[in-house]
Amino acid sequence: MIHSLTQLAAADTQSGSVFTVLGIDWQMLVLQIIAFLLLVAILGKWVYPWLMKSVDERQENIDAAVNAAAEAQKSASDGEARIQALLDEARAEAADIVATAKDESTAAISAAELKAKKRAEQIVMDAKDDIAKEIVTAKKALHDETLQLVALATGKVVGKVMDSKLDDSIIRETVKDAKI
Amino acid sequence: MAVRLSRRKITEYIADSLVAGASEKDIVTSLAAYLIDSRRTSEIELIIRDLDYQLSVRGIVLANVSSAYTLSEETKKAIIAMLKDATGATSIELEEHVTPAVLGGVRIDIPGSQIDGTIARRLNLLTTNNTL
Repeated sequence: MIHSLTQLAAADTQSGSVFTVLGIDWQMLVLQIIAFLLLVAILGKWVYPWLMKSVDERQENIDAAVNAAAEAQKSASDGEARIQALLDEARAEAADIVATAKDESTAAISAAELKAKKRAEQIVMDAKDDIAKEIVTAKKALHDETLQLVALATGKVVGKVMDSKLDDSIIRETVKDAKI
Repeated sequence: MAVRLSRRKITEYIADSLVAGASEKDIVTSLAAYLIDSRRTSEIELIIRDLDYQLSVRGIVLANVSSAYTLSEETKKAIIAMLKDATGATSIELEEHVTPAVLGGVRIDIPGSQIDGTIARRLNLLTTNNTL
């Protein structure tokens, strides 16, 4: 570094041109600057707009994708909320159904017990009635059988003790009391 | 074939003939011939029953008397007197039937009525209605 500075100082003192000391051809430099400016103008005129347009489109696409992603996320969040609401509603309904089923089953059991109790009482009453009827029937049958036996015995006795004389007296009594 | 006559007409004719003194044999023969000719022999029981009724209307009552023993004359007279008094008939014909099954007493069947004073009936009442 120190060597370069000493060379530059020596050149200034000997010839007096910095460009020459530095080895720069100022004509070439001007040409290169013009060429550069031309290049910049050409790029600014035809390349940059197309490039910027592509970049803008790309940016729009990215923005649209970002928006779509945001929308999707929002939709997902909404869907999750709806699902959660539905789940809550379903849980509430299930709880109601279970409670109703418990109440109905309790009521059904109570009704069945009451019905069974009534039925049992009715069966007992019917049985009592049947027994009472059977007792009455048996008494009647016994009474009838007794009467038949009495009648049979009376018939046997009357058949043996009856004679024409006694029969005549019975007939006259009948004729005397007869009514047509 | 003979003209079909009603039972009432037939029995009225026979009853009138009997009351007028016509021969019973001739009447029976004519009736039998008519029933065979008109194919009505199955009605003979009904005709006899109707004839009993027609005779009773004309003062002649045929009474079927059932008893366990043969009736004495005194008992027959008592029955005839009772029937004349009850029916107003001028003539009572008793047809006796000895039926041991009645055990005792008497059963008198006249057209449209019956008097049953038999012991068998009383015993039957005892067993069926518990009354005598």
